[in-house]
Amino acid sequence: MAISSFFNSPRTVFSAATLLRAGFLLYGLFQDAFSPMKYTDIDYFVFTDAAHFIAQGKSPYARDTYRYTPLLAWLMYPTTWPGFWFSFGKVLFAIGDIVTGWMMFRILRTHQNMSQERALKYASIWLLNPMVATISTRGSSEGLLGVFVTALLWAVLAERIPLAGFLLGFAVHFKIYPFIYAASIVWSLDDNRKNRVTSVSSSPITQAIKFLTPRRLVLAAYSLLAFSALNAVMYLAYEWPFLEHSYFYHLVRIDHRHNFSPYNILLYLNSSLRADSATHASSSMELERLAFVPQLLLSAVMIPLALAKKDLPSTMLAQTFAFVTFNKVCTSQYFLWYMMFLPYYLPDSTLLRSRRIGITSLVLWVLGQAAWLHQGFQLEFNGQSTFVPGLWGSSVLFFGINVGILSIIIRDIRSKESSKSYVKAGKST
Amino acid sequence: MKQRITYIVSDPDTFRPELLDVKHASITLKKVQAAKERKVTIGLGELPEQLAKAFEQWHELHIRWASSKPYPSIPPFISRVTPGLHVFFTPHKAKPTNGQLCDLLHSTFGKELKCSSTSEAATKLPILSERFSMSASSQYYSYVPTLANLVNYVQEKVCGEKKRCKEEVGELLEADYLDVDYDAISHAVVLNAFWSTALDGDSWAETISVPGKGQSVEVGVLMHETRPDPEDIGFGGFLTVLGQDKAPKPTRFQTPTRHYPLSSTSTATSDAETSSLTYSTSFAPPTGLHPTLTLTFPTSPIPPNPTCKLHTHLTLPSYLILDKYQFTDSLFLASHNLKSLHSISGATDLEAPDWVVEQWGSAVLFELAVAEFVEGEDEGENEGKEWNATVPLHLRYLPAAESSHTSVPVPWPVVFWACRAEEGTKMSVNPFDRLHLGYEGLFGPKTRFMHVEPQGGQGKLVEWIDVPVLDLRKAKWVEVGTIGAVIVAFLGLVWVLFGGKSAAKKVESKGEGKKKQ
Repeated sequence: MAISSFFNSPRTVFSAATLLRAGFLLYGLFQDAFSPMKYTDIDYFVFTDAAHFIAQGKSPYARDTYRYTPLLAWLMYPTTWPGFWFSFGKVLFAIGDIVTGWMMFRILRTHQNMSQERALKYASIWLLNPMVATISTRGSSEGLLGVFVTALLWAVLAERIPLAGFLLGFAVHFKIYPFIYAASIVWSLDDNRKNRVTSVSSSPITQAIKFLTPRRLVLAAYSLLAFSALNAVMYLAYEWPFLEHSYFYHLVRIDHRHNFSPYNILLYLNSSLRADSATHASSSMELERLAFVPQLLLSAVMIPLALAKKDLPSTMLAQTFAFVTFNKVCTSQYFLWYMMFLPYYLPDSTLLRSRRIGITSLVLWVLGQAAWLHQGFQLEFNGQSTFVPGLWGSSVLFFGINVGILSIIIRDIRSKESSKSYVKAGKST
Repeated sequence: MKQRITYIVSDPDTFRPELLDVKHASITLKKVQAAKERKVTIGLGELPEQLAKAFEQWHELHIRWASSKPYPSIPPFISRVTPGLHVFFTPHKAKPTNGQLCDLLHSTFGKELKCSSTSEAATKLPILSERFSMSASSQYYSYVPTLANLVNYVQEKVCGEKKRCKEEVGELLEADYLDVDYDAISHAVVLNAFWSTALDGDSWAETISVPGKGQSVEVGVLMHETRPDPEDIGFGGFLTVLGQDKAPKPTRFQTPTRHYPLSSTSTATSDAETSSLTYSTSFAPPTGLHPTLTLTFPTSPIPPNPTCKLHTHLTLPSYLILDKYQFTDSLFLASHNLKSLHSISGATDLEAPDWVVEQWGSAVLFELAVAEFVEGEDEGENEGKEWNATVPLHLRYLPAAESSHTSVPVPWPVVFWACRAEEGTKMSVNPFDRLHLGYEGLFGPKTRFMHVEPQGGQGKLVEWIDVPVLDLRKAKWVEVGTIGAVIVAFLGLVWVLFGGKSAAKKVESKGEGKKKQ
């Protein structure tokens, strides 16, 4: 009873979410003040240092390992003021969490036609998730991305196409990977279903012309405009280091340090062998350089084509899941990227309807990480050479588990009726 | 060629003037227990052309090599550097010298030195004190445990057939440290070698004579004298200019000194027994990928005078890194008994694996957080209690190898008190002044260094760390396995996405398979 009445009112849920974050934030201040082990994330010091450089009229890239858009450092500007202002960024990220949760709630209510109680329950996967609250109150910017991506989804569902375009361009400028959503959003923007049925017989050119609907063109135009304008401004302000650190760095990074990615040990192996035998021909085929092919084919082409017209939010979940699973580098904060889509997918999912599959998936997902973390700990702190078979085996195992979960998600979306009533309902708002 | 040979008698009670015998142009020492410094100044013209050309590339070049074997210091030869090969240099502005340093080092000190090109391997030396214009601009370091390569090289290229030259150069194998200095103004190369004890471990019994015409040799046999001025050190003994003096000439002098013995009361006593403070270096196992360097002092260090601050200067090869951003938090610093990170220079990229780092490594100066100077107090309280300062480090990934671990050397850092000196500018009049050690440039010119001796005991002044690496013997299936797993997963997902109805059928659902594309 208590639980159901708790989820009856947005006020209680959002108050609880706010209190949760306030609690973590205060606890963090306490731990930072009294312990040499800091609650605050290392990245937060990177942002705030970068903000200090900006405050001195310098480039944020004067700070080592600052690999973000200068906008983030500008957002952190108040942290350069004295006193409690240092925590401004964490407060901002926490507020971002709540705003994201509110948009989730609105999307679930309006576009998935949920009752208030049900919508609040599912939004709580994000709002009351201690992992989400910890990440943002420790000062990691991943949560902030939730605001932009969720706003993007809302704008598409609410048919605010120019706004959606702007948000897409902005999100890609902020963190690159949201570009994968372009394909699914574009593909989902059908004018109506009749078009599609008749188009089967027409020639490629007419098909192409029919594909280029005004809404798609508007989306493309606004997103490109936003993306290029932001980049142009940042380039004018910070020149080459901006491009180097926010974009090109991701092309040349080696990612040799152990992480969840199945490619990790292979990258370490081949990168170090290549350095060893810089002169004579490399024995490896360097196939790992093609790692982006399956990743991008799945997340940016195939999943959008196959699924976007059926259920856009769940498709975006599948895309993100595929992107993270097949990525050359994968750490736990990347899991946040797909977690922000779970509230839309889970309600009708096999994972919730079949208790057995759901619990098995969750247990395996956790166990896969636990196995890897155990090996990682043995390496990092006990100095055991667990690269092979331990770390490699557990990362491939975790990869397999993720692929299994992804296939369940894909099947669920495939089995849905084509684009339900989201857009229609969306028009009514 | 000019030579100056100085013996510092370790125990004046054992010395009698009769132990010296000057005849013609030579001097014979009969069992003199002493430390020895040999300083040889060679004009570029006296060197083989190839070597002379190599030196001419530099505006200034200072090589400091120190043995990893522990040795006792004796004033005035107090200063220390981390064991291994240090090179401080300023390239000639007019001449681009890429690659020259690495070629020179590879042929003299060993092919295995990590040095691909001068501009990439060397790092800029930070200079906090602009007035200290003596400092070189660039730094290079590598752990070189022995001078065997250099000795071979000099015997072959410089000595040629001269037997005496070969023998004398061979003595370098027993040296505790060796300095080589060149600068474009003097146009001369100065070699300076130090032996803390005689080659046979007991006493020097040797004859020194002038090797050839036009060459001068000056031999000093000195003992410590009590000094009137607290910042000076004083010596008494005998000087002999070979070929000129018929007998050893008594002498007595005092000089201000940059490097000062820690034992404040002792004047002439030899070994470490009087210097109250020593330190040792260790890594607490398991080191993992985040080894913590521990400096252990037998007692809590007490400043010899109120202006003194205890420092440690670390020379970290490229596989070790220090995350400077960790050391901004006062609680973190305090928990490691560190006061502050004064300076860090060199390869400080926190993300790169060792195989992409071209630079030799990094140099770090910390001030340690010792108790405040309180006259006459506290001393009893901390007595007998070990005192530690720790420096958390991180390891870069090392290349995959045919073993599970790769062992890497970590030479001991140096530890010293940096104190205010009243007569800083006069220090260079000290005939035994030693500069270009990598850390004096980080202090003002009016700084006196009081060196804490490493407590080598039985071991060496270097620690070895086992770094876990990818074991190639087990890695045969990594490439095939990874790519196979990705391809199978990819094809499986494509089938789930586009495959036949059966795929969708397994999932109970209302709109099953109806709307395939």
